[in-house]
Amino acid sequence: MATEPATELTFGDPGLLAAEDRRDRVAGLGPWRLALRRLRRNRVALAFGGLFVLIVVICLAAPLYADHVAHTDAFKNHLTDTIVINGQTRNVVAPDGVPIGPTYHGRFFLGADGNGRDIAVRLLYGGRTSLLVGVSAALGTILLSILVGTLAGYFRGWPDTLLSRALDILWAFPPLLLGLALGTALALGGLKVGPITIQGDSLLIPILIIAIVQVPYMARPLRGQVLALREKEFVEAARAQGASPLQIMFSEILPNLASTIVVFFPLMVANAILLEAALSFLGAGVRPPNPSWGTILGDGIQRIVTAPHQTIVPGLMLVLTVLSLNVFGDGVRDAFDPRAKVRLEH
Amino acid sequence: MTKLGNALAIAALAAAGVGVAACGSSSSGGGSGSTGGKTGGSITIGSVLPDSYDPVLVQTVQGNQPLQLVYTGLLTYKHAPGTAGNELVPALAEALPTISADRKTYTFKLRPGLKYSDGSSVVASDFEHTIKRLLYLGGPFSSFSTVIEGAEAYQTAKKASGDISGITSDDKTGQITVKLTQPDSKFLFAMALVSAAPTPAATSPFKATSNGSIVGAGPYKISVQNPTRQFTLTKNASFDVPTIPKPKLDTIKVVKETVPKMTQDVINNKLDFMTEDPAGDDLPLVKAKYATRFRMDPNPPNTYWFFLNESVKPFDKKQAREAVNYAIDSRALQRIFGGRLQPTCNFLPPGYAGNGYVKIDPCPYGDPNGPGDLAKARALVDKSGYKGMSVTVWGNTKDPRPAIVDYLRDTLNQIGFKAKTKVLDQQVYFSTIGLKKTQAQVGFTDWFSDFPHPADFFEPNLSKKALASSPTFNFEFKSNPVVDQGLTKLNPQDPQSVADEWAKLDRAVIEDANVAVYGNELSTTFMSERMDFQNCNGVSPVYKNDWLQFCLK
Repeated sequence: MATEPATELTFGDPGLLAAEDRRDRVAGLGPWRLALRRLRRNRVALAFGGLFVLIVVICLAAPLYADHVAHTDAFKNHLTDTIVINGQTRNVVAPDGVPIGPTYHGRFFLGADGNGRDIAVRLLYGGRTSLLVGVSAALGTILLSILVGTLAGYFRGWPDTLLSRALDILWAFPPLLLGLALGTALALGGLKVGPITIQGDSLLIPILIIAIVQVPYMARPLRGQVLALREKEFVEAARAQGASPLQIMFSEILPNLASTIVVFFPLMVANAILLEAALSFLGAGVRPPNPSWGTILGDGIQRIVTAPHQTIVPGLMLVLTVLSLNVFGDGVRDAFDPRAKVRLEH
Repeated sequence: MTKLGNALAIAALAAAGVGVAACGSSSSGGGSGSTGGKTGGSITIGSVLPDSYDPVLVQTVQGNQPLQLVYTGLLTYKHAPGTAGNELVPALAEALPTISADRKTYTFKLRPGLKYSDGSSVVASDFEHTIKRLLYLGGPFSSFSTVIEGAEAYQTAKKASGDISGITSDDKTGQITVKLTQPDSKFLFAMALVSAAPTPAATSPFKATSNGSIVGAGPYKISVQNPTRQFTLTKNASFDVPTIPKPKLDTIKVVKETVPKMTQDVINNKLDFMTEDPAGDDLPLVKAKYATRFRMDPNPPNTYWFFLNESVKPFDKKQAREAVNYAIDSRALQRIFGGRLQPTCNFLPPGYAGNGYVKIDPCPYGDPNGPGDLAKARALVDKSGYKGMSVTVWGNTKDPRPAIVDYLRDTLNQIGFKAKTKVLDQQVYFSTIGLKKTQAQVGFTDWFSDFPHPADFFEPNLSKKALASSPTFNFEFKSNPVVDQGLTKLNPQDPQSVADEWAKLDRAVIEDANVAVYGNELSTTFMSERMDFQNCNGVSPVYKNDWLQFCLK
């Protein structure tokens, strides 16, 4: 059962904070520059941030690797092909269906899957898909959460009751289960909303599903912050000057949510990548033959005895990506407010 | 009407069946007998589950295996190991029917005192009710019953309470008379299918059921805990039909599992049998390490092919269909099947040798054991004018089918189409692509023999008659006139006596590229150590595995 994700603010002794500021010579610096300065000092977070960038760059280079090194693409079957490795001609897939293992050469560096597709190439293209789904879904979650959290927190009353109960309903389902149900239901007919039609095999389907199922985990803390912010003097001042609710939300409330959103973003991306992998592994996320780390894991599970690398390598990529995002995300959180404990809890 | 004449006719049909299966005996050797094994006990089977729990709507092997134990017909196939399983024997009927001299009237008589598993009596009029349900609901095997006088009119009228003039029954005497519009040599085979098994008129509604609520008069009764997760077969204590052996197992629990999971569970003796074939890594592993409880058989005779929907672009043109046939490389598909595929050019499987199968040699699309001719295929796609057209390849989740459809996607892309795949769950796949409105262009399909008659392959899959069913198995959504005419001409005759004519139909289907055939599969039987594998593996030319023959050590 999900527990309340919380923005826990711990208020330290003002004297101690002032001493800290003096020590860091931060007087006069804006919160963003201050955060950047703190982040730069966190070498572990920076190292993991660098690792994430490296993974992104490697995945973006997939077409180069496919064209110039592996000489294939992520979809091409090589079931009856042969390759020459160290002077020996070998089947890409043997007549009994066993695919070639890692060659550690340009072609089939990590071996082939059951359809004779180059696993290394699929791994890189799969990374692009996983990252694209993760980042897009996290952005979708943030947009929806801002909308829901701000409306519910600012207006209170029946909009709050309505939206909060809707979030409660969403929260009542474990994200994976809800994602599975939606993914399976939308796989056949796709999604039709008015004039907009999304095909069942479109990447937009897992992006939308993941974006929606994660909304409660971010919208609730945002709503809490808005509830607190709407009572602040600067909001009252804006109201007294005749600003409309929309103006207040955009000019007064939203800027004050920025740091929370920035802190949440890498953590949401990590969660979205994990959820995409789980859904794709279970056949309700990215549709085959599109590669993603989840689908590659799913393909590899059948050959876990003779070709464990087919599951280990995409698994490792997932671990590294999620770990790097989480450690970097923690660093960002510490940088923006070292006294706050903003965290995602499932 | 003469009993002798009937007996001879039926013996000829049964012999044809034996002949069929004899050609398709076990590849791994070793006979099986049902004499050993203990009585009693319970087993658990892993399955992808039936496509339907309604006896008139079920169509897959996974559905037929359990439901044939629940719904017993007037006739059935002998529950005996090996090729003897092709023999037709009376079941709820006390004897094989008497057949009129013009071979158009069949008279059955029910055994006295028969009861359904809920205790209600089996009456003769239940048979007509079942055939009505089959036709009214458009069950996948309904086309086999349209030869009955008045059946087509009943189906067209779409009125549940209507009458089928060709069926008369007398509940007092238990006599059932069926009049056909023309002689039909496969009629008795079709009457032994689950879809023709009598069910109580009072509790079998004219709507599809999904929870096993319809009772039968078979050796087991069914209890569906969750249609998509689990069901249980429990011994029917009141079952007493002398031609069908009493069940050895008390209960058979069937659970849904993925193929890799069920393989591991059979290896670890958590499951006692799996309805599917081990795939991927598991096949060589099982073959090597568990040979004493694993075997491969070409039974039931089967064919695997890609359907080509001729009612929609691009396969409405023969060039496009021929292009697919030229492009297919059965060696590639053989690898996907883990070596269990035997390439072929025929629509009829080799198990029908002497019964319609004559190897098409040379194959019009090149050696089925050789590579595909991609250059010729590309040229044909160019000629068809459909180059660059989007094509969706349909398949289902059961291993290795996703890999099969991915192979076809890649091949279609290579010959000039823009192909993508759509993979559905096995349980809904055939009922989805069998609807005309789905407009599935091309995709995976296969056929396992339901009974030893070549019409079993041609009629449901390629005939005009099959298009009356919805969903249909005729995924081409058009029929080849040669097939329709051939079925009209050949159906009345003993298939063995017109085997050459059936072979001509086979050739016509291939030459017209109505389908893209690529092979015949060797089926597997894999059991736990608890099972008496030697004596009770139940390998059957009709049911793949006859669970009634299963027993524990």
